[in-house]
Amino acid sequence: MKIKLIIGEKEELIEISENKTVKNLLDIIDIASETVVVKKNDYIVIDEELIEDGDLIEVIQVIYGG
Amino acid sequence: MNSCDKCGNLNIIIKKKQSGQKLCKDCFIKSIQKKVLKDIRKYDLLEKGDHVLLGLSGGKDSVMLLDILNSLKERNIIDLTAVTIDEGICGYREEGIEIAARNAKKLGVEHRVVTFNEYFGMTLDDIISKNNVKEGRRNACTYCGVFRRWIFNRVARDEGATRIATGHNLDDETQSIVMNYLEGNIQNLTRIGVKSETRSNRFTVKIKPLREIPEKEIALYVVARELDVHFAGCPYAGESFRAEVGNFIKELSNEHPTIMYSTLRGFDKIKPILKREFSQESIVGVCENCGEPTAARLCKACTFFKDWEDE
Ligand code: SF4
Ligand SMILES: [Zn+2]
Ligand SMILES: [Zn+2]
Repeated sequence: MKIKLIIGEKEELIEISENKTVKNLLDIIDIASETVVVKKNDYIVIDEELIEDGDLIEVIQVIYGG
Repeated sequence: MNSCDKCGNLNIIIKKKQSGQKLCKDCFIKSIQKKVLKDIRKYDLLEKGDHVLLGLSGGKDSVMLLDILNSLKERNIIDLTAVTIDEGICGYREEGIEIAARNAKKLGVEHRVVTFNEYFGMTLDDIISKNNVKEGRRNACTYCGVFRRWIFNRVARDEGATRIATGHNLDDETQSIVMNYLEGNIQNLTRIGVKSETRSNRFTVKIKPLREIPEKEIALYVVARELDVHFAGCPYAGESFRAEVGNFIKELSNEHPTIMYSTLRGFDKIKPILKREFSQESIVGVCENCGEPTAARLCKACTFFKDWEDE
């Protein structure tokens, strides 16, 4: 299935398999879930939220050093 | 099925690792505001009529604190002035200043921007390139912290502020405790706390209302409240021992989600003893050079300048 992924300014369509959670997706794209807030279709969601075909996933980097 | 523990809403935005509590957006925002206001009362951080000087960097912590302190200002409990310190960190600080200004303006909070350059005749970037060879960049945060404290204290006196509020969070505070302990820096440990004690009437009391809020929850709060925040990292941050300790504690927290709370609680318990045994704060005079309070002949900021002159 296809989803739209937004990270910062970068926006892309990506292909992922069914039954993946937000946490699974973050692991795939190698981003630590403790450092981001994730929105699914404009709503903030938790790590265990299931991703479905056509979802818009926005990853907001919120924790940096300093 | 996941639903909000308070209202049953199915759109939850947090499932707290430390307690298992699940909250929807509105209940999360409310619970955080309540917790911070409760801590302000519990630790006696503010009194009616206080004039609070808030250090507003434009980052998530200070923007969240502005949001909450503004609710006290609107109820005429406190006066509030925001101050942004421009250390002079090229390519990083500029955007933070703009965002800080926008936030203050939106709420009608008085806002001042003060620079290292106007007080010390040099930016942090200047200071670092000056010391590049001898000590390396590792010390950026040391200089930054000392000069920033100096400016805060000076501006607070100029403004007649009765409190300096900063956005230090649970992660920051735990880092300070562990870092100073690991370095054997017991003097510094005696000064860590939710509220500084008045040692001299030339020192304004400093308070940290977000000290018990984890960094991740602050981030979630500002996103949930849709606040305008500067999300970026200081170019000097990653190079510090503090950052190493911070990463280590964050890693531990993944498997042990209550570790920061217990570090803080344990520290607060032994702190009165540390203070009694190790505090050297009884004799406070003023710096010969600049008049800021210090236990030595020169304050820390002036000591740095003197060292550079002597080179
Ligand atoms: S990370 Fe260090 S150098 Fe950068 S603003 Fe913070 S204290 Fe200053
Ligand atoms: Zn709720
Ligand atoms: Zn001095």
